[in-house]
Amino acid sequence: MDRREFMQFGALAGGTLLAGQALAQTPSNLAPAVRARAEKPRIVAPGGQVAVVTPNGSTLPWKNVGGVKVGHLVAMPVRHTFAPGLEVEAWGYNGSTPGPTIEAVEGDRIRIYVTNRLPEPTTVHWHGLILPNGMDGVSGLNQRPIAPGETFAYEFTLNRAGTYMYHPHYDEMTQMALGMMGMLIVHPKRSRGPRVDRDFALMTHEWKVLPGMRRPDPNAMSDFNVLTFNSKAFPATAPLVIGRGERVRIRLGNLSAMDHHPIHLHGLYFEVTGTDGGFVPESARYPETSVLVPVGSTRVIEFVADEPGDWAMHCHMTHHVMNQMGHAAPVTVGANARNIDKQVQALVPQYMTMGQDGMGGMEEMGMPVPPNSIPMKGGKGPFGSIDMGGMFTVLKVRENPEAEDGSGWYVHPKGTVADKADPAKLAADGIDPDVRFG
Amino acid sequence: MKIWSSSRWKKPAQGALLASTFVLGGCVTVPYADDVRDVRSTLGSRWAPELPVPALTGEAPRGEDVDTVVKELLSQPLTADAAVRIALLNNRDLRAAMHELGIATGNVVQASLPPIPEVGLEVTKPAGSTKVQTGLGLEYNLSDLILLPQRRGVALAERASEQARTASEVLGLAYRTRLAFYEVQARRQQLELRNLALRNAQARYGTAVELEKVGNLRALDLATERSAVEAARLAVAEADNALQDAREDLNVELGLFGADTQWTVDALLADPSDALSKQEGLEARAIEVSLDLSELRGRMEAADRRNQLARTEGFLPTLSGGVHGEREDDRWEMGASLRVGVPLFDRKRGERIATLSSRESLKARYEATATAIRASLRQARFRVESTASRAMHVRDVLLPATRKALEETVLQYNAMQLGVFDLLRAQDNVTNAASTYVDTLLEHHRARAALEQLLAGRHQGVELAPTRISSAASGSAPAADAH
Ligand SMILES: [Cu+2]
Repeated sequence: MDRREFMQFGALAGGTLLAGQALAQTPSNLAPAVRARAEKPRIVAPGGQVAVVTPNGSTLPWKNVGGVKVGHLVAMPVRHTFAPGLEVEAWGYNGSTPGPTIEAVEGDRIRIYVTNRLPEPTTVHWHGLILPNGMDGVSGLNQRPIAPGETFAYEFTLNRAGTYMYHPHYDEMTQMALGMMGMLIVHPKRSRGPRVDRDFALMTHEWKVLPGMRRPDPNAMSDFNVLTFNSKAFPATAPLVIGRGERVRIRLGNLSAMDHHPIHLHGLYFEVTGTDGGFVPESARYPETSVLVPVGSTRVIEFVADEPGDWAMHCHMTHHVMNQMGHAAPVTVGANARNIDKQVQALVPQYMTMGQDGMGGMEEMGMPVPPNSIPMKGGKGPFGSIDMGGMFTVLKVRENPEAEDGSGWYVHPKGTVADKADPAKLAADGIDPDVRFG
Repeated sequence: MKIWSSSRWKKPAQGALLASTFVLGGCVTVPYADDVRDVRSTLGSRWAPELPVPALTGEAPRGEDVDTVVKELLSQPLTADAAVRIALLNNRDLRAAMHELGIATGNVVQASLPPIPEVGLEVTKPAGSTKVQTGLGLEYNLSDLILLPQRRGVALAERASEQARTASEVLGLAYRTRLAFYEVQARRQQLELRNLALRNAQARYGTAVELEKVGNLRALDLATERSAVEAARLAVAEADNALQDAREDLNVELGLFGADTQWTVDALLADPSDALSKQEGLEARAIEVSLDLSELRGRMEAADRRNQLARTEGFLPTLSGGVHGEREDDRWEMGASLRVGVPLFDRKRGERIATLSSRESLKARYEATATAIRASLRQARFRVESTASRAMHVRDVLLPATRKALEETVLQYNAMQLGVFDLLRAQDNVTNAASTYVDTLLEHHRARAALEQLLAGRHQGVELAPTRISSAASGSAPAADAH
């Protein structure tokens, strides 16, 4: 990549950053972020390696100063919206959580200034990178902490390509629980393996924000109730728009407090091509549809999607696809709601028994909930509500991805959508729907 | 302290006396109507203006009319004022007290009567004479006649004291009736709240039954909810019993029995007001109008007068005089006599020691009573203010706070963060706050009645219940974080 290419890239990334900030200020307006997905992939690294796209996020802009890439991270409180209706006082970098994705090329020398605008000290640890010990960012071990108001400089050369992360190493529990983290991607000098057409970065995370609260609870050790891709919960997660037959790379990072996430993709199988330790040799790869991303690790998957459509991509832990799921209410599945309602409504007229016939479709009941809370699940889909939330997004495989802004739904060819069976066909196939078992 | 003068007590009593002496003449009837009128005039300005005294008229003892008025009052839901009215009309203890005043009235009448002259007739027939000699004599006890005004003075002072005591009993009855009425109101409201709490426990248990039926609840939780229902049921029974007790206490004051006890009350305890306690100079007022002190003053006056009487008796020789006539030879011979008994040995020293001691004892008691009245007044006044502000705090702060908590619990329930049991417990907290309001309001009305009673002139029998100190955490643990 030459200097001109870099400047171009920087300008673009800066633009994305601004869009990200605008998004943070007007949380209900998701359109700009969604549209950003459909741009033609840009080349940023030698060998035609495409730029990493951070759905709902941004990329750190560089200044080139005497051959050194200079960037600036500001650790700061951030007003963050997980999904319209749920805004929190979080902490992040440069106005967002996760912080901007840092993207560079193997061999680059980078100098990153870190300004601390938090009420307490912080440091930045470059997770997975091998660098001079004094740059590793562990407070007390490698450096003194960056006091509020101070700006530290980190400078090192990126010697190994790969998918890494960055996060504080001072009061980790609080600072990470409040959202301080980001992805760090180093493209190889010479591209390895088949060239990919799309390259996405998704940071998984978990939070505890009880309905009506405004600050994630850093003391939580279980019962996390907001599960996110790039700090967004479905239905606010931006879809990943790709072209049919394109080779796609998704880099997954996990800096959750307590949970690993088995990320499952529909409509394709993939191979794990990298971890934060490096590249997985071809001989060691095997096909998968779920990849477990442990806490503190990155996993890079690559695939070619041949089947067009809107495909679910989500964590397979069922509570991780729920928003602000409560665990304290007694289970009412199967109960006679009418008997309960009659007695309770005499005392609390607004009462209504919920969940007696399961919890599907509950978001449509429209009962008043505490301010600053979002429905446990449910996003708009072409066939009604999508009965999931949290760590859920959609992979949109399209014939012409550049023409899509990600907001439209796949149009199914006639006769390719499951529907009510034709009785004549049932009879012809010898199926008795009234069959009894046991 | 004001120096007491007996003159203000003499006038109405003397009027009554005059009436009795001349109107009754020879035939004796009970002077009930006059005594009632006297008591009424004694109460006069002491009687808080909003309190009715129609019952204390001369018509009071005429059974038929009284019954009609009482029945009329009982046919509608009772109010505190109506209850007092009924009690004044119908309470037999009060009637007894009025008749006791009659005893004192009788004593005055008796003490006002001049001594009876003694008439002697002598018929003699000297031996050997055929003529019968007739002698006529009239003897009159002059000492008693001289002492009559003083004896009457003693009786008048005693009656004045009795009159104050009777008036005080009227106040006492009105006070006890008010207290009993407030108690009925409070118990009725508490019974309603306990029923609400029972319905809440039943709703929790009913829900638990439904959940257990379909396998979503442990037998432990079902049993726990069941025990809560039974405890709530017991609380209802206790509240019901307390209401019955309160009704019977009121029946006693109202003098009611049989079918007449079916009265109803539908008014709730009124909102608090501490306007009365804010007034200046209440202590002085309570002392000034105190009937307890009036009674003691009457008794002091009586002791003084008895002492004077004894002194007079001590030096006044026993005097009796008379005229004497004898008929002899168809001719009357007239003569007069005077007998003087010289009190050489009995100068009434013992009686004077007794009356003086009684006077000093009453004086000391008077001062002690005045001190107690002042203390009671300050206590009642503070209690009125404190219970008013507490009641308003419950009504305007605590109760809305529990309602807000219930609303928020509904939202958290809708967001599935809390369950139906949390919701019902939040509702129960509202009921408990309402219960606290009723308790505090009752305490307030009791204190206000006590203060009014002190300012109407009666200290005797005024009582404030001991102050309750509730634990701040009473049953409202925040249901915020279930983990
Ligand atoms: Cu997960």
